[in-house]
Amino acid sequence: MSLVRLTASDLTKAPSGRDARRRRSDRIMRGVMFATAAAAVIPLIGLITFIAVHGVPFLSSQFILNSPLDKEPGISNAIIGSLQLTIASIIVAAPVGIAGGVYLNEFASPRISSAGELLIDVMLGTPSILAGLFAFLVVVPALGFSGWAAIVALSVLMIPVVMRTTQEVIRLVPAGVREASLALGIPVWKTTIFVTCRTAASGLLTGMVLAISRGLGETAPLLLTAKGTNDTEILNFGSTMNAMPIVIYRYAYAADKLHIGQAWATALVLLVIALVLNVAVRFRTINSRVA
Amino acid sequence: MSITNGNRFGFGSGIRADSLFRIVFGSAVVVAGLLLLGVILSMVASSMPVWSIQTPLSFVFGDRWAGEVTQPDGSITGNYGAVPVIWGTAVSSVIAILIAAPIGILAAVYLVEFAPRKLAAPLTFLVELMAAIPSVVIGLWAAGDLSIRLRDSVEWWVASTLGRVFPWLSEDPNAPASQSVFRAGMVLAIMIIPMVVAVSREVIRSVPQSLREGFIGMGATRWETIRHVVLPAARVGLTGAVLLALGRAIGETIAVTMVIGNAEGIPSSLFLPGQTIASKIASNYGEAGSPTQVGALAALGICLFAVTFLLSLAIRLVVRRSMRQGGRVG
Amino acid sequence: MQQPEIESKNGATTPRVVPTGVPAIADTGAVSTTGNLVLQNLEVFYGGFRAVNNVSLQIESKSVTALIGPSGCGKSTLLRSINRMHETIPNATVRGTVTLDGVDLYGSHVDPVRVRRVIGMVFQKPNPFPTMSIFGNVASGLRLAGISNKGEISAIVEDSLKKAALWNEVKDKLDEPGTSLSGGQQQRLCIARAIAVRPEVILMDEPCSALDPIATLKIEELIRELRAEYTIVIVTHNMQQASRVSDSTAFFSMGEDRGGYLVESGRTPQIFTAPTQQLTEDYVAGRFG
Repeated sequence: MSLVRLTASDLTKAPSGRDARRRRSDRIMRGVMFATAAAAVIPLIGLITFIAVHGVPFLSSQFILNSPLDKEPGISNAIIGSLQLTIASIIVAAPVGIAGGVYLNEFASPRISSAGELLIDVMLGTPSILAGLFAFLVVVPALGFSGWAAIVALSVLMIPVVMRTTQEVIRLVPAGVREASLALGIPVWKTTIFVTCRTAASGLLTGMVLAISRGLGETAPLLLTAKGTNDTEILNFGSTMNAMPIVIYRYAYAADKLHIGQAWATALVLLVIALVLNVAVRFRTINSRVA
Repeated sequence: MSITNGNRFGFGSGIRADSLFRIVFGSAVVVAGLLLLGVILSMVASSMPVWSIQTPLSFVFGDRWAGEVTQPDGSITGNYGAVPVIWGTAVSSVIAILIAAPIGILAAVYLVEFAPRKLAAPLTFLVELMAAIPSVVIGLWAAGDLSIRLRDSVEWWVASTLGRVFPWLSEDPNAPASQSVFRAGMVLAIMIIPMVVAVSREVIRSVPQSLREGFIGMGATRWETIRHVVLPAARVGLTGAVLLALGRAIGETIAVTMVIGNAEGIPSSLFLPGQTIASKIASNYGEAGSPTQVGALAALGICLFAVTFLLSLAIRLVVRRSMRQGGRVG
Repeated sequence: MQQPEIESKNGATTPRVVPTGVPAIADTGAVSTTGNLVLQNLEVFYGGFRAVNNVSLQIESKSVTALIGPSGCGKSTLLRSINRMHETIPNATVRGTVTLDGVDLYGSHVDPVRVRRVIGMVFQKPNPFPTMSIFGNVASGLRLAGISNKGEISAIVEDSLKKAALWNEVKDKLDEPGTSLSGGQQQRLCIARAIAVRPEVILMDEPCSALDPIATLKIEELIRELRAEYTIVIVTHNMQQASRVSDSTAFFSMGEDRGGYLVESGRTPQIFTAPTQQLTEDYVAGRFG
């Protein structure tokens, strides 16, 4: 086919042949792409519907407030356990992650900074089961299946999340802010804590929420460490502990309807928490971007 | 003396405080590094009992997970073979990536290039929400709902058509397996699509608008512009997105454990139960009593770590390259 | 080598025999009456904002028309509405008509994709496609048009690069990426790319604003040469450039509603030496804007 010089009068005719085919394939591909976007979202809708439909009938105040050993069993010990383990882990992970992220951005030489980036990448890319395996191999032989082991495993997973977010938000702090402070004769350490980190505070919080959200949802590392129990343990990290993901996993294969229903209901609770945390993070991020 | 040494704000010795501060903050990075080192060394150390009864080669290339075997002469040899779980990991991840990569990339293209703002925002939000759902919740849904749907639709259909020709796509129509490698792959696909979408979206957005306009200005349709200009310009970053998602699929544990069936050996068909490295560790640690049993699981951990570590390195190289390329484009 | 054939608009095919073996664009199908653009009561909106306000303008065939005026007066928007490029921006709409040789470009049967093949465009910032070679950049439009004959493609690419005064600089490195060229060369590559598909009209949106003075002069020289075959509409901030390259000039200003409107238009010497409006006189004299 040779080059046809299109003129104005050609434009009034409906495109034919090749141009019509091009137009059609454009429309078809638009449809295909819309379908893929829908396909990416449909599972979410199916999942939420399914969990809600099966979980809601089992939601009750007893379910939330009672322990598995009560006459009307609930999952209170798992809720308490999840909260304790996550909070304890973030107490370990946040200082390490934030300090490390700040160091890599503010003080490290380019070479160390790039090595640190790689370290974070590798840690983020390490499957969570390996963090669990680490605690299982190192802590469990010494302390047994325990909250401590779970905290070690969860910290390994949370530290890189906090460190990466810290790095990203500290990078956004304008150099001028620091320089203004340093020019006033304020030492580096005070500038870093009271100026740089203060400016980035909401971003640092975002990182912590992301890490908490990850910690709350992890299952495999908890199975290998906290193991799960029917007892309610409060601040007794030396013993086995329960957590919501463990309940879901263990009850999913239970023989009786009640436990399977409780797995769905627990999943619903965990789902709602995950969604709320996600929305909160988004909201914060959007706000801080505007500001 | 007081002028040079003292700090007029009364913070004490500034220089000394600063260097102490650096050391404290720097040590946080060291702690993180030591933890990663601990993860590696703990697995290496724990796997040692295995290497006293079998070689690493026989572990990686062994096709059965038979445990310790007492030889006629009374000596004990190890017969731990990782091939079945490596096979399961590879196959389920490949199924996942084959489905998730095109869907995720095209969905990202749709969000960036076509979707009206009023539709793009909620769609993006939903996709990100999907990424935030704990894998055990996805596993529960998959085991209770999705898995059965897949069995009765795609699996049944493929098995009764292609399955007649290819044994590795067949199933017993009267007794379809309750769990399968294929379904694990599908669940993984659903789990990694949000990741592919999120990263691809950023990559596609970073393609300069002027390139799109240039091609559209020459009389190209939107799709031609995407195919000939946007996707080629974004290909390095998109590779990174896919590799990142692949890493996630390879390491995903609990959702896979809940649908793959955790059966020993290499299944003869994709529609039969199997096992991945991660699901094997998660389902076997409880029974692991002897040092070699624990050691064999640790050895599997080393394999898993090695793969994800190499992927992290590869992604870093890809990102560097795309940054260099981006510099040239910009 | 197969000679390219040019179909005239009534569909009759005229085989061309060119002694050099290179298809000539200069003398092909250039019926001097084609390429007349008429804008009538044209208004362009971004959502509720009227960026261009009631513009009526005749753009003469095979000549250079410069659109000048202070920034923000809607010149680029107007230019982009001529080949319907502005439609790539969500919420952009047009009222009024744009006709090319009597054909309403916004008519119900008209496909904007085809409009852009008849009306090519060169952008402010050189934008060669980074994943394509120099050759590939020029050939891309031909491939879109469905030309698969390699001999024909390379003949047209060579011819277009010659027309764009770039051939001698790039003939030995056609396989290198278009982005490896200097800024001025990149812009000439973009011009070659635009003329390769033989449009009637070429729109240029401040084509020299990203270039150094020497590269600018080369492009201006090129524009004057291209005028023989194409209707050229150029937006420029540079008054000297408008007076150097254009035959006609249209001066735009910004109204009180921040929408652009046409102050006056005419032959370039007249606009620059004897404008009828005080506003124009002030602007070309550099007293404002």
